[in-house]
Amino acid sequence: MDFLYSYIALAEVYVLLGLSTNLLVGIAGIFTVSQAAVFGVGAYIVAYCLMHEIVGFVPALLLASACCVVLNVLVTLPSLRVSGDYFVVTSFGIQLMATAIFINWTGGTGGANGLPGIPPPDLFGFPLESNELLVLLTTAGTGFGCLAFWLIMRAPFGRLLRAIREDELAVAAAGKGVLRAKVSAAALAGAFAGSAGGLYATFLSFVDPSSFDLDASILLLTMVVVGGARTLPGSILGPFLLLALPQALAFIDIPTSIAASARQLIYGLLLIAFMLFRPQGLAGEKL
Amino acid sequence: MTPAYLQAQGLEVAFGGLRALQDCSFTVDKGRITCLVGPNGAGKTTIFNAITGFLKPQEGSVSFKGRVLDGLKPQDIVAAGIARSFQNLRLFQDLTALDNVLVALPNMAGEDPLGAIFRPLHAARALKQRRDEGREILAHVGLADKADIFVRNLSYGEQKLLTIARLLATGAELLLLDEPASGLSAGALEAVMVLLRRLQSEGKTLLVVEHNTRVVQKIADDVLFLHQGHLMAQGTPERIISDPALAEIYFGGAI
Repeated sequence: MDFLYSYIALAEVYVLLGLSTNLLVGIAGIFTVSQAAVFGVGAYIVAYCLMHEIVGFVPALLLASACCVVLNVLVTLPSLRVSGDYFVVTSFGIQLMATAIFINWTGGTGGANGLPGIPPPDLFGFPLESNELLVLLTTAGTGFGCLAFWLIMRAPFGRLLRAIREDELAVAAAGKGVLRAKVSAAALAGAFAGSAGGLYATFLSFVDPSSFDLDASILLLTMVVVGGARTLPGSILGPFLLLALPQALAFIDIPTSIAASARQLIYGLLLIAFMLFRPQGLAGEKL
Repeated sequence: MTPAYLQAQGLEVAFGGLRALQDCSFTVDKGRITCLVGPNGAGKTTIFNAITGFLKPQEGSVSFKGRVLDGLKPQDIVAAGIARSFQNLRLFQDLTALDNVLVALPNMAGEDPLGAIFRPLHAARALKQRRDEGREILAHVGLADKADIFVRNLSYGEQKLLTIARLLATGAELLLLDEPASGLSAGALEAVMVLLRRLQSEGKTLLVVEHNTRVVQKIADDVLFLHQGHLMAQGTPERIISDPALAEIYFGGAI
């Protein structure tokens, strides 16, 4: 049963992250490949706060979200100056920098060894120690994220973001501030990624840089593409499906020594296949 | 002397070596339809861009109802009461006709993430009301039954009407229309001309880029003749069209 719980919790964390990526890439048209870095910052902040008993879980999660809001706005600011293709390169650089910091800042992040033994989260003094309660916590967090995403998509703010993705000049001509809306989207995506990080750190009780590297960012993009851009069902389907994939592959007889690279290969093939044959993903719209 | 409704004074715009506007000055009077004519490359769209904040003239100044607009952002100029359309329409293809209009309605509740997430009921109630407002605007330009159709499925003529609906949604009183009648069938052309006249009677002021001299004769109260980025003449359509020197420029003469 433990496996099922960790699968659900992990997939839910990735749903939250997928919503964050979807907001930027799918809806606002800011093509970022550095969402895993923001995710990592959220995870490290919560881990550090709990390990050093600075604050409880809820304030730590709020702090992580707030920091990631600021960070994500800063990280996406270049997208307001450089457009499209150029921003992908900028954001690639940001991701590499973040990984370098995660690995080398041993005082804060534990370096390549990571931070083991993160204490379980507490809700107002009540510790959540069992797997059931932890899954309940990630479900509640992700549920709130999904609700927020759904509300945004049907609110005028969602329409404004869609309009911006199509034609920024026309939005400006319609009298709306493009900059303000983009910064708002980036802030929101930061809050999503930061809270996903916090939930991730407390559920696994261990974080290390490999969870927040470029591979993670790409896995995240794969989830959005496979699940489907710009829709809530797509953002939920993608993570649950792609995280189940390695387990499904376990039924095929491949030596464990090549399992990891086989997985990468299959992700690569999936990305290409979806772009060629089903660009809208399983339950989404065309990117 | 009261200031002119819209006044452009000594506008200079250069793109590298090309001087798109040179000492360009003109006025637009309130409540009139003013047509901006001139050969290709005369700088008509550049004037629109300079008035609406899409580009900053190197020299010169634009004022509207006595207020200087220089340096304002496009959205501030819309808020000041001037909105423009684009020659290539620039509609949001993946949105419905109604959503295209709603994007342009000012003071929309729930257009920021916090309002959308934490006051959803308020946003939903407000949206319901604004939808009716949007439908009325669509009905006003003759697209009442197209509200829920995606732009990419509208005919070209309907798309042109939709650009006017989107302009109206901004609430601006001075509308800058870039070739609203080009590429239309005779019937659709007539509908657009009737619509422009009706907007005028409802108190809007229109500055219209137009190539078709028959359209200009029919709708214009006033004509601005632009050539090589400079205002060559301003007057009634009859006067401008009967001027042999201007006709020479317009219909392919060299200067």
